[in-house]
Order: sequence, then structure tokens, then C-alpha cells
Amino acid sequence: MKKSLWASSAFVVLGLILIFMPLSGYEEGIVALLCINCIAAMGVSLLTGFTGIFSLGHAAYMALGAYTAAIMTVRYGVHWFPAIVAGGIIAVLIAWLIGMPTLRLTGDYYAIASIGLGEAIRLVLENWQSFTRGARGFPGIDSYTSRTVAVGFFTVLGIGMFNLIYSRLGRELKASRDDRVAASLMGFHTPSSRMKALLISAFYCGISGALLGGYMNFIQPSMFDMMKSTELTAVVVFGGLGSMSGTLLGSAIVTSVMEYFRDISQYRMLIYGCLLVVIMVLRPEGLLGSREIWSFIPIQTLRSVFRPMPRPDARPKERG
Amino acid sequence: MENSVQFSTLFQQIINGLSLGSVYALIAVGYSLVYSILSFSNFAHGGFLVVGGYICYGLLSGVDVYGFFEIPSSGIWLASLGALGGAGIVAVLTERLAYKPIRERTSMTLYLLIASMGVSIVIENIFVILVGGRFRALPQDIFPSALFNLGWNVTVSSSDILSLVVAVFFLGGLQFFLSRTRWGLAIRAAACDLHTAGLMGVNVSLLISIVFFVAGLLATVGGIFLSVRYTLYPQLGGITTKAFVAAVIGGLGSLPGAVVGSLILGLAEMLTAGFISSQMRDLVVFSMLVIMLLVKPAGFFGRQISDKI
Amino acid sequence: MENSRVLLELDAMSMFFGGVQAVRNMSFTIMENELAGIIGPNGAGKTTVFNVISSVYSPTSGCIWFREQDITLLMAYQVNRLGIARTFQNLRLFGRSSALENVMTAMQNRYRYSFRETLRGHLSPSYRPDPAYHYSFVESLLHLGRWDGVEKHIRAKSMELLERVGLADRMFQAAGTLPYGMQRRLEIARALALDPKLLLLDEPAAGMNPEEVFALNDLITGIHREFKLTTLVIEHHMDVIMEICPHIICMNFGAKIAEGTPEEIQNDPEVLNAYLGGEEAENA
Repeated sequence: MKKSLWASSAFVVLGLILIFMPLSGYEEGIVALLCINCIAAMGVSLLTGFTGIFSLGHAAYMALGAYTAAIMTVRYGVHWFPAIVAGGIIAVLIAWLIGMPTLRLTGDYYAIASIGLGEAIRLVLENWQSFTRGARGFPGIDSYTSRTVAVGFFTVLGIGMFNLIYSRLGRELKASRDDRVAASLMGFHTPSSRMKALLISAFYCGISGALLGGYMNFIQPSMFDMMKSTELTAVVVFGGLGSMSGTLLGSAIVTSVMEYFRDISQYRMLIYGCLLVVIMVLRPEGLLGSREIWSFIPIQTLRSVFRPMPRPDARPKERG
Repeated sequence: MENSVQFSTLFQQIINGLSLGSVYALIAVGYSLVYSILSFSNFAHGGFLVVGGYICYGLLSGVDVYGFFEIPSSGIWLASLGALGGAGIVAVLTERLAYKPIRERTSMTLYLLIASMGVSIVIENIFVILVGGRFRALPQDIFPSALFNLGWNVTVSSSDILSLVVAVFFLGGLQFFLSRTRWGLAIRAAACDLHTAGLMGVNVSLLISIVFFVAGLLATVGGIFLSVRYTLYPQLGGITTKAFVAAVIGGLGSLPGAVVGSLILGLAEMLTAGFISSQMRDLVVFSMLVIMLLVKPAGFFGRQISDKI
Repeated sequence: MENSRVLLELDAMSMFFGGVQAVRNMSFTIMENELAGIIGPNGAGKTTVFNVISSVYSPTSGCIWFREQDITLLMAYQVNRLGIARTFQNLRLFGRSSALENVMTAMQNRYRYSFRETLRGHLSPSYRPDPAYHYSFVESLLHLGRWDGVEKHIRAKSMELLERVGLADRMFQAAGTLPYGMQRRLEIARALALDPKLLLLDEPAAGMNPEEVFALNDLITGIHREFKLTTLVIEHHMDVIMEICPHIICMNFGAKIAEGTPEEIQNDPEVLNAYLGGEEAENA
């Protein structure tokens, strides 16, 4: 059970490094963007990788978070911190309303329903002119998402996510992912397990959207279309389904690559699409498979190297 | 007076809805066909339609391939034929290069789903790079553009009639192919159980290629009519989301279901546009999808799947 | 050892799938601390009986009573919390998790069963999480409070169980990659982790070689004795059940055709007819 302690300390160290590392303004922006994308990716990873629910509409929860935070800060002058948290909570509430009827669906059916729901939320935001200013977007959001804020949220939410995975909830979700019937016969009420995963993931996506609003200073319904939802899920699959550290790695790589190709923006999406296909063909299990990154550290081999007198019968096991 | 306006709007929108629905049906049937064999949502289906649309556009207006050689503009028959064949080949290539290696490796359809999204992004952006993101109208004179007045201010354009006729022709052809030919029988068998069909001596990989060719071909027929209706642009493939919705409403994997679902969807969309507002169209479409999934997830004609415990 | 209290009672239970009568008018009782077996040819409806008892399906007609409570209409997870655990004919492990995690997953779901006086004045059974195996959401989020102690407890207990079924050295292997016989034993360990009152074993010997079957018989009888656990076993191999179960129910074509001790079953004309008749039909 030291794994989680290691993960938490790694997060704190990473957070401190990211906050105090001397960077140019442009690089600071990229760090903030990385954190924002990672938060959303973690949420989707819990849902897709750990619970086996495949969603193609999670950008909608980002949109809800972004619009909630934007409207609260701009229109009602609320401080950014409660506004961001409120963004997460609104996303959770809507997710709950949506999840109640739709989580009964499984497999492709839920994915297709989530497309419909995601698009419906986006269309509502687009058509509710008086409240959201419609398709032309919502300008003039304070740039409250500084590097420190983004990294801070990322660290706290990251620790929370890893803690959740290494607790009863993590096992519950994995059980209902691997075999729903068996899970329900192990005493899990699988619909509520799935609901928990959906709500947590909606919270993460809501926070991420709220931070994105403060980062871009401008939001628009079309930023949160099906393309964005696909990207969220694709990043999770790229990192490896059922591997949270893989998700973070995948998200970091995809964000950096996309940033690197910003200048040739028209080729950017082409490269991204090719990448998706190539990864699925060459390594469908993703970067890390369903293992966490520290399981690649050959602890047993290290131990056997440093053990003074290895017993003849205790050969280090081959891993992988 | 008010009543008669309402009445003529109703008729007009029903005609428009059937015409749009018939186009959706062409797309949805191919999508459903692939789903019935491989049970995954092929999101690249919209890409095939775009490929076909651009080939048709290119052949109609003549292409200058970077100054190397020039293809002169050709008539609608040749252009359509090229488009159908081209899109079919692209569909088969997609299957062979992207899906087949994945299928051979894992049985999880999720990977196919994501790969198909990748393919759809690739196709979309290839056209963004090659021909730019501009909207392009197909030359107006490819279809006879007569308007027939049916009285009460209800008009039918010849392209509406044409799309209906063509859709019926192609769907009838598909029905004939599936019910009267050897390969059609094999495809129906594979839709029940691909693995067993393989054991019975069906060449599965050829069969899947045929299915993709047919799907690409039908999508292109729909695509040409769509680009006449909405002009042609690289993101046009996104409209297939609606064909997916139609296929789901009818029952994923069921071909009559896809046709019925498409007609329902086309009607719902046009009636919403006529009586509520055209901005609500998409909202109605997606609400219908969600409601259908909640009430009857298997759709009107779908198979109920249950696993053995 | 012998206890006369009824644990499980099926009362005229029938299960139809469309027009197919999978189980017809099935009645039997299982006493506490019994080791009972259901035998019958393939397709006799044995697994359907299990599926109905564990509430995967709710029966078309009839009632099921468990510890004097009607569980006919309960959901699977509720029945489970009342103390019925089962294994599956075609293995249903959490394949990507390790063997240890599989057991821990079940272990964290231990429920305590108690009777509670309801407003209407009659006793109503209730179950609440066993505090020794449970901690709250906030504690899992922060890894504070009871988290550490409970996790350690669950882990240690799970390891004990794995040792008991002989899987101690494969603890960290992904369940899906274990050999077949081990997966079967892991399923038993996982069911035991729930601390059930009634254990349902669905064809535990399927696909095992004679040696493994022998060890399995030992395991089942051993568990039955040690945990004082009422056990109901399904088998279509008559010899397995004849050897370990003092109480046998024989099914054919969805109906009970005989019930009694192994000797009674072996000498029952209808059972002989069912098995021999089946063979005759096969030979013909």
C-alpha cells in the first residue's frame, strides 16, 4: 500500500517543480495547458479505462464547467476559486441527471448516446443566446488560470485520483468493468458503481473546462464539440486503458506534440489522425497497457542484485 | 387561410423530409451493414462519403493534378461512376490497412472504433490540405432542376424526386444482392455469426472487403446528393452522425431498420424546421436518439443481445 | 454439527424463457450446514436454478426463501449481501486484476446481517457494511482515517484465503492468465471472501483432470467443515457428487425427479432411467 504514498509524493514533487521552475511566459502557458488537459484526461480515464464506459461526449462536461465559471466570474463577480469548483459541481449535477437514465446502456450504445447528449448540451449552449451569448462565444474571462493555479489543481486532483484507484472504489470500478454480472454477484450495485465513475469524471472534466476558460480568456461552444470528446478518449486509449499514469503520459505527449505542430496547424490534425490509427494498429493496448508506470521498475531484479546471498530456489521472476 | 398555410407547410416538409431521409438511408444502410458484420461503429463512414463527393466534384469540373497532368471534366455519369468506385476502393483500403490488423490482434471493438475516428480525421484533413476547407458547390446543371407544383404551394424539385428514385434503386439493388446472390447469402450468414461463417468455408476477409466496398459505394451516392443539397466541404462527413442516429433508431445492424430510421429522422428534422425553428433540428435529432435508446435500446428492428451466465 | 433450521427453500419455482420451460415446479429445502448437490444431465436446468437463487433471473412463478425471508424479487447484489455467494460454470473472474485483488474486491463487500424492527411492527431483515472491512469515500479519497488499517486487514485476510485454496504463490498474477484449475479455485476463494451463509458452486470440476477433481473434492469438503458453510454443488458427473454430498437432488428436463441420499439416488428407477434412457437415446 506504499504505492499510493509514492504516487502522492511524486505528485507533490512534480507540482513543486512545475510551479518553481523558471520558465518563459510561453512555456508557463504550456505547463498550464498540460495540467488542464491532464485533469480532464484523468477524469475520462477513470470512466473509460477503469470502469469500461466508453464516452464520446465528455467535452460537454468541460463546456458546462467552463460556462459556469465564466458566467459566475464575469457576470456575478464571483471569485475564481469558488467559480471553478462550482463549474465542477454543475458538471456533476448534469452528469447525474443524464446518467440516471442512460447508464443502463452498455458498450457502443452508451457511446452513441453520449454523442447525442454531448451534442445536445453543446447545442443548448449555442442556442441559449441570452445566457451564454451563443455560438460567437463568451469573451472577456479573467485570466485566473495562472501556472500556479493550474498546477495546484492538477496536483490535488491527481493525488485524489490515485488515492481513489488504490482504494475500495478502484476495485469496485474494475470489477464492474471486467464482469458486470460477477460484480453484482459480489454484492456491488453496478449501476451505482458506474454512476460514481461518471460523476467523478464529470467533476474532473468540469474543473478542467473551468480552468480552460480562464486560460483562453474566451470560450465558444464549438471548442467542446465531438472532436474534443474524441480527443479525450483517444488520449486515454493512447496512454493505456486502465493505467492512470499512462493517461497522464499520453496526455502530456499528445499535448506537447500538438503544441509542437502549432505552426503547421493544418497538418496537425492529419498527424493526430494518423497517430490514432497507427497506435491502434501497432499497439492497441496503449503506451503502458493496463499497468502503472512504477510496475515497470524491476524491483525484484534490483532486490536480487542487492541481496547478499540469493537462495538458489528464489530466482527473480520474469516480468511482463 | 391560416390552416391552409399550415397544411401546405406540412406537405412540403413531408416531401422534403422523405427526400432527406432517403439520402440518410443510403448512408445509414452502409453503416449498419458494417456494424452487422463487425459490430463496431465505423466513424470513418463519413470519410468515404467525402472522398466520393470530392472525386465526383473533381471529375465534373476537371482536375489539374499539380500541373503533372490534367483530367478533363466529364459528365455526371462518368463522374458518379468514378466517385462510387473510388470511395469503394478507399473503404476497402481502410479496412485492409487499418481495421484488419487490429481485428487480427484483439477482439475489442473499442480499438476499431478509435481507429475509425483516426481514419475519419485523416480523410477530413487530407482534403483540408489538398483542396482547402472552402465550401464547393457541385455544378448546378448536373441534375435537371425543374420544379413541379403540386398545388397548395407545395413544390417538388426534380432533385428531390431523383434522390428518392436513386435511393430506391440502390437500396433495391442492395436487397437483391443480399437476398439473391451467393455473396449476399454469405453476408447474411456472417451477420449472424462471422466466426461460424468462416468455419463454413466463407472467405471472411474477402467478404468484409465486399461489405466495405458496398458501404463506401452507398455512402457516396448519399454524399453526392448531400453535396448538391448542402455544398461540399471536408467536414461534410460529420453529417453521417445523423445517419448513425437513424441506424440506431431503426436498430443497429438491421438494414430495414436503417431505412425506416432514416425516413423517420428526415421527417422529424424537416417538420421541426418547418414548424419550430431550423436551429432546433439537431437538438430534436439528438433528443430522439437518446429517447429511443432509453425506451428501446435495440431500436425498432434490432436484435436483443443477452449473454450466457 | 447437525442443525435443523432451514436455510434455503424453493417453493414451486418455475422459470420460462419465452416458451421454453427451463425449470418446472422446483421445490426443495436446504438445511443449515448441509452439503447438498444437484445432479442431472446437460441442459437439465441446474444452472438456471442457481441463476434464480442468486437472482440473476427472477423466476416466472414460485418463491424462494432464504433465512426465513422471501428473496424472490430482490436484486442480485441484495441477495449477495444477505449471504449467498456463488461461482460460475464458465468462469467469471475479474481477468485483468491480480488474484489477490480479485479476492480483496469481494472481501471489501462483507455485510453484516441483522434483523431490524420496522415501523409496521414486524421484523425486517437488513444488512449493513461490516465495519472491519469498510471505509468511507472521503477516506478513500484522502487515504486517511480507517483506510490504512482496513486495507491491511482486507489484504491479510485475502492472502489467508488464497493460501487456503492453494494459490499463495500466484497471488500477484493476473487472474485471466492463471491455469484453468487455479481459476476455478480462485473463484471459490473469491466467493468465500464474502463470508457467505450459503455457497453455490456451479460445476466446480468442469474441465479438470481426475487428479484435480480429487483435490477439489477435498477442498470442498474441507471448506464445508472449516467454515461451517452450507454448500450447494452442481455437477453433471455423478461420481463427484456421490462421493461428497450426503443430500442429492436429481434433475432432468427442468424438473426434479428424485431427492435423497446417494444410495437412494443410485437405486431410484427414475434416475437410472434418465441416465440410461439418455444414453440409449444417444446411441440410437
